[in-house]
Amino acid sequence: MIQVTHISKEFVSPKKYPGLKGAVKGLFSNEKVRKTAVDDISFHISEGEIVGYIGSNGAGKSTTIKMMTGILTPTTGQCLINGIDPSKNRMENAQNIGVVFGQRTQLWWDLPLSESFTILKEIYNVSEEDYKSRMDFLNEVLDLPEFFDRPVRTLSLGQRMRADLGAALIHNPKVLYLDEPTIGLDIVVKDKIRDAIRQINAQYRTTVILTTHDIGDIEELCSRIIIIDEGKKIYDGGLEELKNTYGAVRKVTMEVRRMERISEIDWENRLHANSSLFTVQTDSEKNLLTVSFDKNRIQVSDIISSVMEVSDVKDIQIQETELSEIVKAIYRHRI
Amino acid sequence: MQKLKRYGRLYRVLVSQFLKTILQSRVDFFIGLLGFFFTQIMGIAFLYLVFEQIPDLQGWTLDQLIFIYGFAQIPRGIDHLFTDNIWMVSWWMVIDGDFDRYMLRPMNVFFQVICEKLQPDALGELLVGMILIFLSISKGVLIVDAAHILCFFISVSAGAVIYTSIKLFFATIAFWVKQSGPFLQVAYNLADFAKYPTEIYSKGVRFLITWVIPFAFVAYLPASYFLIEKSALATIGLECLIALIFWIVAYSFFRYGISRYESAGN
Amino acid sequence: MKKFIRTYLPFASNELKRNMAYKGAFYLFTLCSLFGSFIQYYLWMAIYGSAQGAKLGSLTREEMVVYVFMSYVTSSLTMISVSRELGKDVVKGSVVMNLIKPIDYRLSLIAKGLGTMVYHFMMPGIFVWAGLEFYKWYALGLPVVNIGNLLLYVVSVIFSFFIYVLFDFCFGMIAFFTTYIFGMQMAKDALLSFLTGQLIPLSFFPEIVERLFEFLPFSSMVYTPVMIYLGKYGISELWFVLGRQLVWVVLLYLLGSLLWKQVTRRMIVLGG
Repeated sequence: MIQVTHISKEFVSPKKYPGLKGAVKGLFSNEKVRKTAVDDISFHISEGEIVGYIGSNGAGKSTTIKMMTGILTPTTGQCLINGIDPSKNRMENAQNIGVVFGQRTQLWWDLPLSESFTILKEIYNVSEEDYKSRMDFLNEVLDLPEFFDRPVRTLSLGQRMRADLGAALIHNPKVLYLDEPTIGLDIVVKDKIRDAIRQINAQYRTTVILTTHDIGDIEELCSRIIIIDEGKKIYDGGLEELKNTYGAVRKVTMEVRRMERISEIDWENRLHANSSLFTVQTDSEKNLLTVSFDKNRIQVSDIISSVMEVSDVKDIQIQETELSEIVKAIYRHRI
Repeated sequence: MQKLKRYGRLYRVLVSQFLKTILQSRVDFFIGLLGFFFTQIMGIAFLYLVFEQIPDLQGWTLDQLIFIYGFAQIPRGIDHLFTDNIWMVSWWMVIDGDFDRYMLRPMNVFFQVICEKLQPDALGELLVGMILIFLSISKGVLIVDAAHILCFFISVSAGAVIYTSIKLFFATIAFWVKQSGPFLQVAYNLADFAKYPTEIYSKGVRFLITWVIPFAFVAYLPASYFLIEKSALATIGLECLIALIFWIVAYSFFRYGISRYESAGN
Repeated sequence: MKKFIRTYLPFASNELKRNMAYKGAFYLFTLCSLFGSFIQYYLWMAIYGSAQGAKLGSLTREEMVVYVFMSYVTSSLTMISVSRELGKDVVKGSVVMNLIKPIDYRLSLIAKGLGTMVYHFMMPGIFVWAGLEFYKWYALGLPVVNIGNLLLYVVSVIFSFFIYVLFDFCFGMIAFFTTYIFGMQMAKDALLSFLTGQLIPLSFFPEIVERLFEFLPFSSMVYTPVMIYLGKYGISELWFVLGRQLVWVVLLYLLGSLLWKQVTRRMIVLGG
């Protein structure tokens, strides 16, 4: 469905100098500043996938999306969306895609929402029948009738986002791009939006690509994620796989009664593992013992039984590494 | 043909939506119209006062000058009415990234730009132009026959195309410098030179408004066809040719500019 | 007095700085505004070329060159809009905010206008003026302006500035009644270009109309200072026209206060 091959985007801007002197100098100098926002990225996405496209601010997420939608022309490389190169056949591509930019509406600001839909129906050349059946579906998953007759400028952020999502889907696009679809929304609305995206994907096999900073979006929606940083792709794979690779570390924290006896444990022997696979920390003031370990190699039960042999345990807590931690770690690793 | 029909239909839909919002503020509409109307009327009053002092201006009578002045308003008004949104592209849309939305819809980008707005203020210019032209006809300074009437419509259309091309060309610079409003403003204001016979200007100015930024072809040159027996080919024909060339240049430049569009947020 | 200056000077200097911040392409704007003068210049040259007498509307061809460019310089120094900002403040509703500050709103607008005036003096006023004087001396073989006329001109320009901003303040109150002040501005600018003598010297009008126009405050905005610059007034006339300017400053000041009081009272009653 989507084939991105070696795309790069470079932005060139004239060099600026400070002050009045600098302004004059700037007029005559021809120095340019080059910035590579996207650096040789390739990936393939199949029909019906929901892919999270993530990275820190300025990593090049939006730039990639903008190239795929036809807003920007890649400096080098090519993307093919459903066999169409958006930079060459922008209009044909536009007919196949739906786009929602979280911070910017595509609706007609001063008109009632219903009018926006009427206009979009004309723009995308949607037949009366298709329009009806689509609207029935969208009304159901997005609850549009609630505010269908109100001018767009009077809608709340959550309502506007639902409206925008509906507007992007009116022509049954094969691919849906969502740039920060849940930004600034409260939890209830976020859930609603996520639910709608899931339903749309299930019902029409719409391919969805979404950029977000919200880990919840990714965990609830995406089966696959692509992480980019400083314009380069640094991870591409399943969510579970990511958790397994980077998130294999698990933490067990126990409150023990007799801290002094903990040192008697022969960890390597009891856990049947080399000491590089776990770390042990103690906090004698609070009587806390924390063991971090690779869950693929070491059994939690081994740890607990070893401890219980020497001391009573008042409380046990087992923590999995959260996705946000993993993502953070990946960003940090790159820097 | 199918495509043309579709665009015609789209234009109606998009513009009628815009008109709905405009009609909510009718007072503003009349005030704007009045503003442009007044500005042009003052220019005419100026000519009247001057001609109190002189019998003719380098061979042109007052009635003829008034026709040139009025005629110049028509293509200007047509362009102003239909393509005013080009100003927004040059001033804000490129730098703010609002241009994104044109790139996302399955319609011609230029088409989207112009159908986002109609500028009713332009009716002030058109009104003045029409009044002055009818005045000129009633005074018998014009040659009126079928060929001239036909040429009139061709000429004002071609003139409007020249205006639009010049605006589009200078607005396109925004894809490189983000804001090209000042450039566009300078170019657009040059049109004021074309309200009078070009003979009064020095060679440099005449060259500039004839061949560099060809406003002379919009007003004075075609107007002379209606006033004195001049060949249609050398005036209206040439105007059409210039319109075609400038349109092709401006539109190709615009297309190229779009591929350079950088959106916002970098 | 000292306190007064301390309060309002920042308005002027900030406005000056704000104007100076525009660079590069924005200088083109200045060029743009000069186009009109060049069109007029060529037009007048053609008109004088077609005229029988040497003088038109009591001005010679050379005097007309001076008139065209000095009326440009003068109007750029004196006709500085305060109604635009007033309109903006009304639409945004920030006028009410200004009412509770311990400053006179109108004076703050005038101080800002003064900052813009200083900017216009530097960009492009002084250059156009110098260019004109050079042209007079080099191409037309005329003496440069005499110092007395220049000083009187400066005094007159200062009066003109106050007449314009005080008038424009009154005009700006239209913003309380319509939101589309842009259209009103257009109409006003068009009308004023005529009444002030910007477009054509008032001496071109039939005598009765000229009398009427001189009676209105607008002739004092551009026509009077430029005619002073040209040395067209005798001593007694000079006192008369300067006195008339002063009278207009006072009258427009009082009118502005009165209208402002009425309008703000209405606003407070209606709750903005």
